Amino acid sequence: MALFSQTSHQGLQGLLWKCRMFQPVSRCQQLFAVSFGIPSREKVSSFSSVTSSSTALPVDPKGADAFPTKKRSEVTYEEEGWDEETKEIPEEKPRLSSFAGAPKKQISHIALRHKFAKVQPPEKPLQAEEWNRLKESFQSPEVFEEVMFNSMISYNSSIDVAKSLLTHMAKSNGDIGYNLLVKYLALCVQQGKTSEICDVYDILKIRFKVLESGAYNLIVRGLGNSDQWRKALTVLEEIKKAMIPSRVNYESCIKAACRHQEMTLACELYHEMLTKDLVPTLDVLQTFFDYSRGMKDPELQKELFGILLYFRANQIYPHKTLMRSIKLWFESIPGENWRGHLTNITNSGQCPVCSHQLEDSELSEEEYNNLSERIIRDVIHGTDTFRKTSPQEFEAFQAFVENRFPFDIVIDGLNVSHIKPRKLQCENLFEAVNCLAKNNARLLVLGRKHMLANSSNWKREVMKEMQNKADFFFAENISEDDTFLLYATLRSGKHCKFVTRDFLRDHKACLSDSQTRQLFRKWQRGHQIALSPSVGGNPMKFLPAFSYDCVVQTTGDTWHIPYKDVYEEKYSYRVPRKWLCLHRKYRRM
Amino acid sequence: MQSANMLLKKLARCSVFPFAAQHGMKKDLFSLSRTLILSHCLKEDSSRSPSEKLDLDAWKEVMKSRLQEVSATASEPKETSTLAAAREILEMWRLAGRLVPENVTEEQLKTFIECPSKSAKKKYLKFLYLKELHKKNDKRKTDERRERRLEMQESASKTEEPKRNQFLCLWANSMDKIYNWRVAQSMIFGQPLVFDMSYEKDMSDREVANTVRQLVLSESCNRRSMDPFHIHFCNFKDDSLYHKEFIKHYREAWGKLLITVTDQCYTDIFPKNKLIYLTADSPKVMKTFDHDKIYIVGSMVDKSIKTGVSLAQAKRLGLETAALPLEKYLLWSSGAKNLTLDQMMHILLTLKDTGDWKKALEFVPKRKYSGFVNTPVRELKTALNLINALKLRKRQDELRKQFAKNYSKKLTQK
Repeated sequence: MALFSQTSHQGLQGLLWKCRMFQPVSRCQQLFAVSFGIPSREKVSSFSSVTSSSTALPVDPKGADAFPTKKRSEVTYEEEGWDEETKEIPEEKPRLSSFAGAPKKQISHIALRHKFAKVQPPEKPLQAEEWNRLKESFQSPEVFEEVMFNSMISYNSSIDVAKSLLTHMAKSNGDIGYNLLVKYLALCVQQGKTSEICDVYDILKIRFKVLESGAYNLIVRGLGNSDQWRKALTVLEEIKKAMIPSRVNYESCIKAACRHQEMTLACELYHEMLTKDLVPTLDVLQTFFDYSRGMKDPELQKELFGILLYFRANQIYPHKTLMRSIKLWFESIPGENWRGHLTNITNSGQCPVCSHQLEDSELSEEEYNNLSERIIRDVIHGTDTFRKTSPQEFEAFQAFVENRFPFDIVIDGLNVSHIKPRKLQCENLFEAVNCLAKNNARLLVLGRKHMLANSSNWKREVMKEMQNKADFFFAENISEDDTFLLYATLRSGKHCKFVTRDFLRDHKACLSDSQTRQLFRKWQRGHQIALSPSVGGNPMKFLPAFSYDCVVQTTGDTWHIPYKDVYEEKYSYRVPRKWLCLHRKYRRM
Repeated sequence: MQSANMLLKKLARCSVFPFAAQHGMKKDLFSLSRTLILSHCLKEDSSRSPSEKLDLDAWKEVMKSRLQEVSATASEPKETSTLAAAREILEMWRLAGRLVPENVTEEQLKTFIECPSKSAKKKYLKFLYLKELHKKNDKRKTDERRERRLEMQESASKTEEPKRNQFLCLWANSMDKIYNWRVAQSMIFGQPLVFDMSYEKDMSDREVANTVRQLVLSESCNRRSMDPFHIHFCNFKDDSLYHKEFIKHYREAWGKLLITVTDQCYTDIFPKNKLIYLTADSPKVMKTFDHDKIYIVGSMVDKSIKTGVSLAQAKRLGLETAALPLEKYLLWSSGAKNLTLDQMMHILLTLKDTGDWKKALEFVPKRKYSGFVNTPVRELKTALNLINALKLRKRQDELRKQFAKNYSKKLTQK
């Protein structure tokens, strides 16, 4: 606000200077000149404070007389507008981006949005001739309406202004383009003008046989948020005739139904959505928990437990707000006395609140065999065995493992050898092998043939000494040693662990279906030991594998739900450490 | 009246502003002024004549009075319902401003319907849209050129024009003959260069089409060179997609091309110890161009990253492999190290003629490297990383540490 303590001239200069921080000067000045109708910087001084307040488009200074009805009240708004000018106008919200500006005459909509981001829509309805004048003074008249509507949406201007523009267009062209109607619809939805949404929908139906998904999304959302939400359901039925509704459509309808306590309807819609293979957003699921609070309805309860089991089956971790909704719902079930606590669960896998031991992360026999087969089929062989190894080499390796297994620990030699960059690679490996061999564990170290060549990094004496303590297998230099690591570990059985700091993302990606991928991750969590280098005189530290399984789990009287702090899941190998523990307290009779 | 207004406004602004700002009570003052002004506005509104009043809902009447648009269904009653529905959807998307081509053939519609996912559909439409756009632009340019030529001819209707044209014709013709003669010679005495055509199963239709386009380019630049290779297309199956695409490009010239096309494998034609498979995944780096060896290039465009496909092929057949020494001679900045087939052809031809790596690697796209190497690469690389990181304002301290670490490592290695 210090901007306005100076005289106007200095203020403008200051503004220009401020803008410079955001973008190259020339463009900034140009924009500035455009948005305030200043042909050059000299003009700034004479342009003291008579900016036309009804619009920030280029206006002939003399033309200011054309707006006889200038309100002083707008001054404040405009001043705020000035301040906004110096900020980067945020991108449209993602939900609006589906119908972002249309490329007309090879102006892509991205360019549209950036080039004209600073156009400020007028603040009150204009007459036809005023619109005409604005359009003529605009730098590219062919996209004027488009740009105008975009900026109306971003400035959230009143729909009367938009209407006046529509009226002007309808009178001059006798028609309004579909994209502009959709933009107007977006503006109405943004401001929740239900009657307008219905009107636009009627008009669209009269004019066009089918609509596209962007318009449908808007209509369903707009109606779903209003008291005419039943209408949204009829629109949904209509969409079904033309195409498969998007999950956003269902989301709007389900939320509307929940809001009006029509839980059975919401559940029906939810199931319909699942049968259409649409993945429900976590938002929808949260709505279910939020609006079922305090209800005593066994059917509904079953549904919600079903949702929790869906989390379990697909290894989804709810985020913080959703977790809170779940907790509140549990605690609100009448007569059941659920208590929820947030807790961290340590490596032991025991819940500190209710001292319940979590499920262990072992795979069942069937899952184990399935995973082994898939690893061999998809990861090692894939489309072509020669890509990662060669048939002869793989056979040799298989024979090697059959002769010597079961191992207790399989080590990725090359990965471990890089643990400390200052040390020789063979020393790193030697240290790790010594560390792991202490408990008489049977070790297998996987490496590549170049480790056998006596080089500065791989001393032959050290290698010899290591080979007394562990079995070694050296793959070809151009083979993938990680795949052998997976195979040897799986072949050795459930007790076998493997050591690498690799996250094995690329191997997970080779697996073809998500079910197996999740199985792989679960197995990896339970069997991977990561090493952290020794600090000072301390020996190497192991980050032990998870002994418990990190999924939503229940015993009937307890639920344990892992949750994340953030909404987006970034890495699939990371599991949350935070848990929601829910348990029932029975009243003592 | 109006001028009075203006004056009032000016006065109010000028007086209120500095004062308000100084006292840091802009809001209160303005809310006050706002109420004042509002009353003033109301007066104004009432003073407006009713004829000036805007009818804000007039547009609805206009729109409702228009009947439903007869979409393009009348012209194509033969299309099945799914195609028609798809066409309608496309039309609506186009109206909504998505990147959708104006004219879609039935074949393209079918491809569109067969796209497995929404994003695949979007991509395909965008591809068609851009194709259409380029076509239109080209057409516009040629039209402009023609007009200009006509104008020129009208302005200077000299008689020398046709003669020169004839001369040009002759020139081109004789050049063609010379080229063909050279290639014919290379077919007898030249060094073979093999294109391995066994990757059709690993590619989508579009990738195959791109591969063929690149092969056509390579063939043409080979034909124009001083000392052409004798090109072999090995593992070439008749009636394969490759074949169809080639026919599309060459038409009747396909049968007259001076190259060897065979369905045999290169290992059946040439001795194994002479073959070298060029692949970017190879651990071995090519040091010099060997005139006695036969180089194999895999004809494959790989838009999705399938690493090690051609290396696997070489491994299976037990062939020697080599990669271009891009790291050694260029400061690589970004992009994949697998080059297009025509770039490979240019590089190999240059190597064959001059043996000069610098000259040959001129054909690597400029965007992929930031310069030729004079000093040891590693030092430059760390410096470059540091510079880039500083540019991008990453965590500087960490990078400095890393730099120091690398440096010390280098010292210990020496």
